[in-house]
Amino acid sequence: MTYWAVNLVFLGVVAVVGLLALVVLGLRLRRARRDGRAPDAGRRRVALSAAALATGVLLLMTAVFDNVMIGVGLVGYDPDLISGQFVGIAPLEDFAYSVAALVLLPSVWTLLGGVSPRTDRGRDALAAARAGTPAAREARP
Amino acid sequence: MEHGPLGFAYLVALLVSIFGMATLDRRFTLFVWRDPARGAVTLLAGVVFFLAWDLVGIDLGIFFRGETAFMTGWQLYPELPVEEVFFLVLLCWLTMNLHRGALLVLSARAGRSAGAVGPDRSTRAVDPRGGAA
Repeated sequence: MTYWAVNLVFLGVVAVVGLLALVVLGLRLRRARRDGRAPDAGRRRVALSAAALATGVLLLMTAVFDNVMIGVGLVGYDPDLISGQFVGIAPLEDFAYSVAALVLLPSVWTLLGGVSPRTDRGRDALAAARAGTPAAREARP
Repeated sequence: MEHGPLGFAYLVALLVSIFGMATLDRRFTLFVWRDPARGAVTLLAGVVFFLAWDLVGIDLGIFFRGETAFMTGWQLYPELPVEEVFFLVLLCWLTMNLHRGALLVLSARAGRSAGAVGPDRSTRAVDPRGGAA
């Protein structure tokens, strides 16, 4: 079994969890719309942009650090079981871990949520950081 | 394997990075600090899932522990270094911090610019250059 074959199995599991999260999000959105408190299109566009930004940054970091880790000899691969496509010296297959993390973790987070109250402490901390005040440090959870 | 001080280099680098993730999380209330139970379960689910993936890859001989002076040599399973667990914690925490952090930054930006996105645009009292009211 090749590295890609194993990845397809695990990415399949991730896809199922991701779809489940989308369905749950859709149901929550429908209920919110019925109650007249649905997020507008702008909020959803921001959510999509944020996912895209996180994806870009994580894939870039994977490319950098995976090359370092392989370069210093932390991990080795059987050349017969990988595709032979590389980003630098990192097998392309390694990026499946990052792609899986980007779908799996926010999906699990979403599936576990829905009951916890939203807080704006993060937003306050960000505003304080921008304004250069230490106020956010006092905003303990 | 000899355990020189260099043998802890990777483990220490991982621990320092994880500490950085926790610091950012706490500072901006991103993930575990936003909801500890939910965050911990999400993190645990991710680490367990990726460990299973690792074990399958190791059993099939796809990848294996490198011979390097930078690891302790302690293994949880043949070819599974103890460092891998910390690497996976870092990967999962980084992913969620990036995700929640991007959402935070882009929401703040959208709220500042058009004013069309904020949840309470009628009562918005924010100056256009971004000072939070």
